[in-house]
Amino acid sequence: MTPLLDVLRDRLGLRGAKAGCGEGRCGACTVRLGDRTVASCLLPTVLATEPVTTVEGIAPPDGPLHPVQDALLEHGGVQCGACIPGMVVSICTLLESDPDPDEATVRAGLTGNICRCTGYQKIVEAALAAAGKDQP
Amino acid sequence: MTLSLTAAQLHGPTSLAEAVRLVAGGAVPLAGGTWIMRGPRAGDHVVLAGLAELHGVATAGDTVVVGALATHAELARHAWPPALAALRTAAAESAFPQVRNVATVGGNIGAAGFAEADLVPALLALDARLRLGDAGGAVPLAGYLAARPAGALVVAVEVDAPAGRTSGFARQTVRGGGEYAIASVALAVDRDAAGVVTAARVAVGAVEPVARRCPEAESALVGAPLTAASARAAGAAAAAGLHPRDAPDAPGWYRAAVLPAVFERAAARAAEEPR
Ligand code: FES
Ligand code: FES
Repeated sequence: MTPLLDVLRDRLGLRGAKAGCGEGRCGACTVRLGDRTVASCLLPTVLATEPVTTVEGIAPPDGPLHPVQDALLEHGGVQCGACIPGMVVSICTLLESDPDPDEATVRAGLTGNICRCTGYQKIVEAALAAAGKDQP
Repeated sequence: MTLSLTAAQLHGPTSLAEAVRLVAGGAVPLAGGTWIMRGPRAGDHVVLAGLAELHGVATAGDTVVVGALATHAELARHAWPPALAALRTAAAESAFPQVRNVATVGGNIGAAGFAEADLVPALLALDARLRLGDAGGAVPLAGYLAARPAGALVVAVEVDAPAGRTSGFARQTVRGGGEYAIASVALAVDRDAAGVVTAARVAVGAVEPVARRCPEAESALVGAPLTAASARAAGAAAAAGLHPRDAPDAPGWYRAAVLPAVFERAAARAAEEPR
């Protein structure tokens, strides 16, 4: 059974979703299936029966970045970048279902996205800023 | 370790009867795939997603019937009566969103060797019964876990939600976040008007290789109000009766040592549910 991640990266050339742990623990492979996030490394492709959105589909290829992506850059939320495609998909999905989250909600929404670099604080601040909750 | 080079063969049954036949013939049921995709991924699999009978949550009187394909996310969102609150909490705190969005209750039960399954102890404390895809009636979950009958397809889970019962669930992880629990506790209690526990069902997960009820803890809770002290005493009684497993994430003695604290948290949650 081929995981959706392999189809995205190797057959469709969409390299945004990353192969991190390959076993559903890191969230680097996060994509959207319909209106919910999934770990594409664990999703048998046969179950991808709803539209799939990868980070490549979050903002148009040559257009401006999505506000969540801008906020991540502005708040220093990106270091090596390995976790960021998954973070972007998770944050965008979270903000669509809850446009006015508090910090605890953002942190809970990102429990499945591991970042080895930033310590999370700047990513959380970026997510809150993208929701219009800029902190001083 | 066996390395299988056989390609997976996928079957997409169009009726429940066909799925039941395929599983009885040795094919593996495929629900959300989060457990199976971490294994060898080879052999015959039955894709269940298209079968409407396996979806949804229905209530008939005091009994709630949960389709095997209900995901953790659906269970976490559902408006449960206080008797079944443990199921909501177990679903909401299990893993993390990307897994909860696809991992199902049927898969949580059907995954052999998954000591840390979160829904299983909750369902044991709720005295759950399973509808298997045969002509027989519902069977107790505990019996299913002990025997794991080959070729049986879990179709639905039945739980009773009588008025006056409340339940709670708590889990302990080494770090925060979406890890596997090193110990999890679910308890469901019936209390009289004075708050005295008249009946208790308690289950512990992740400590032994398979989650199980803890009769020692149940008798420790009955006959007194549900308090932090009574919960801790029940946790100590449970720890004394269990054979905790050693694994890379925690040694057995540590799993036993944290149990009283996890019992206290689960009991506090059961106590705060409205009766
Ligand atoms: S690569 Fe999928 S969760 Fe880590
Ligand atoms: S920026 Fe490096 S892992 Fe998150």
